This record gives sequence, C-alpha cells and structure tokens, in this order.
Amino acid sequence: MEQTINYIYNKIEAINPIHSKKLKKNIAFFDERYDKLADAFFKKYIQILQLQNKTLDYAIDCYLQMIADVNSETIEFLRTGKYTSSTFEEVNQRVYARPETMEYYMHGLIMSQFLWKHHYQMLDYFINTLPGYRNKTKSYLEIGVGHGLYLSKALEILDDKTTLTAVDISRTSIALAKSFINDDRIAYNLENIYDYNNGEKFDFITLGEVLEHVENPLQLLLKIYGLLSDNGVLFFTTPTNAPAIDHIYLFNNVNEIQAIIKAAGFEIESERSFLSEEVSPEKAEKFKIAILYGAFVKKAKITQ
Amino acid sequence: MNRSEILKTVNEVFIDILDDESLVLTEETSANDVEDWDSLNHIQIVVAVEKQFKIRFTSQEILSWKTVGEMISSISSKTL
Repeated sequence: MEQTINYIYNKIEAINPIHSKKLKKNIAFFDERYDKLADAFFKKYIQILQLQNKTLDYAIDCYLQMIADVNSETIEFLRTGKYTSSTFEEVNQRVYARPETMEYYMHGLIMSQFLWKHHYQMLDYFINTLPGYRNKTKSYLEIGVGHGLYLSKALEILDDKTTLTAVDISRTSIALAKSFINDDRIAYNLENIYDYNNGEKFDFITLGEVLEHVENPLQLLLKIYGLLSDNGVLFFTTPTNAPAIDHIYLFNNVNEIQAIIKAAGFEIESERSFLSEEVSPEKAEKFKIAILYGAFVKKAKITQ
Repeated sequence: MNRSEILKTVNEVFIDILDDESLVLTEETSANDVEDWDSLNHIQIVVAVEKQFKIRFTSQEILSWKTVGEMISSISSKTL
C-alpha cells in the first residue's frame, strides 16, 4: 500500500511541486488506521479503474485538474468574497450536465478522500461515532451518496438487519457507489431528494457535503427533518469558505452552520471542525481557510 | 516602477504572507527555494500582489510562473 500512496505523492510532486508541499504536511498525521483504510480503498479503486480501462495515472491527472479548478475558484473567492456560482442551474450547466467535467471531477474527489487530511479526519469521526447509534438504527438513509465510502462504512458498522437506502440526483454517483459497494442490502434511488417520499421515516440519515451544493440549505434540512424518525439522528458535513466549481451556498463560518441547524429544528449531540490546511487559527481566519464541519444532530425537544 | 522596485514590493508581500521577516527574494527564486511557498500561500500571494499593484492576473499567467522574475514580468507588463 505504501507503494501506491508513495507513487501518488511522487507523481504529484513531479507535476505540481507547490501542491505536493501541502500533501507532504499531511503524511506526518496519518496513522496505522489510515494505512488500513487507504489500502483497502485504493485496491478497490484501482480495480474499478482497470474495469474502465483506466489507470491510477489517469486518476492523478483528474485530481490535479480538480486542484487547478479549486485554485482558480479560490483566487476568485478571495477577490470577491463570493462563490462564482449561486444557482443550481449555473452549476448544472457548468458541471453536472457536462459528462467530461463530471468524469474528472468525480475521480478528483475520490482521490481527495485519502489525500486531504480533513476528509480523512471526518471519515474517522463518523466511523468512531456511528457505533454508538447502532442499536437504535433500524433504517439508514444516505442523501448524496457520492463515491459511497460513508455508505460502505455504515454497512460494516450497522446491524445486519438494518435497511440501507441511498438517494442521489447523479447517475454518475449512483453507478460509482454501486461499483464500490455491490450489496443487496442497499436500495439505490436515482432521484432528487425533494421528490423522494415513500412514507418511511429513517432512524439515521447521512448528508455528507451536500448543503453547499444547494441554493437553500434550510429548505433541505426541513425536508430531512420530515424524513427522520422522532428519535432519529442526522449526521451531516459541510465546509465553510470552500470555493469549488459546483459550490453555490457560502457558509462564512461555523456559527452560520450551527444557526441553520437550529433554525431547522435540530440540536447538536456532537460536532467537529477540521481545518483544511495546516495553519494557526489566526492565519485560518485571516486567509479564509476552509473548515470542514460535521455534526451528529437530533430533533430538538419542544419546550413550551 | 522598474523591476527592482517591483521586486522590493513583491518581497514585502511574501514576508507578510509567509510571516518570515528574513526572506530575501531574487528574480531567480522559485518555490523550491522557499519552504513555505506552497499552494495555499501561492494563492494568497497572488491575490495580495494583485491588490498591491491594482492589477488582475489571468489563470494562464498564474500557472506559468516558475520564478519570482516571471511574476515580476507579468506585473511589469500590467503597470507600464
């Protein structure tokens, strides 16, 4: 495994030495658990690439293309204080409706899951906390399944009898998640979550890095509130100050995220904030560095 | 503004962003010579230099620089 990771780092260093400095700072942080998770992940991922007649080099190129996009979006963000797109229709035309863009973007995001420290830290937080909800979770829903990594961990951690449902608006995502996790226990739905309503309430809902992709996150959280059982738990993540080609809703700080959660009728059970760069909190604020925020929340008790 | 004056101002921007008072740039300095000149700081430097000189770089320019001297050439062409 170390060979695969080293190969990736060396290749990135040769093509983009400035970016590789960031990645090298992460290496010191990664532990044995990371090695195991990354090992299993990249083995599977390389198999999937091979089935598509693609190589790891292709995935590295996709990752660097995504980094180029992020850099140019970040420069624009620092110039204007805004994300470059603000409506779903704009990003649909720029990204989602363009298969060639979706293709490199999706592979770039997959690579980032194990190259970016804050992505790994959030996955680790999920894996460590979800077992505490195992007994209460008879039904699990994931909205915006992406590459399916969180779903695969839920499948491992939750009871064998728990039903698992995945809803995603993207055909590319569903196909990718299915290629990573081919398990009959999961019901995949290619659908807009706003249209999804089979009358079922879920004990646990996961919403990983979705809120920044919608025009009205509060509206989405209210929809989720309706899908959650009375004692159910929502795990969600979303970043602050994270310009990307398909991010439209800007959270300027963690307080804004916490406020929207409260406004949707939830209360926080536990929460984490992970900085996307190795900098001091002062520098993070000065430079508007992205923070990946994640929390386990439940319906607030109504007090009268 | 001549190239040495631009270099002096760019040096001040680097000192501020990288928080390193001892930094002395030359036109030949590259990211390989400055440990903290990473992707994060590169972007911050670009935007700070733009504000300092009241100019805008294109994406192609930002990607093409290999040395401080090449950055100075871009600045020089916009501040004539």
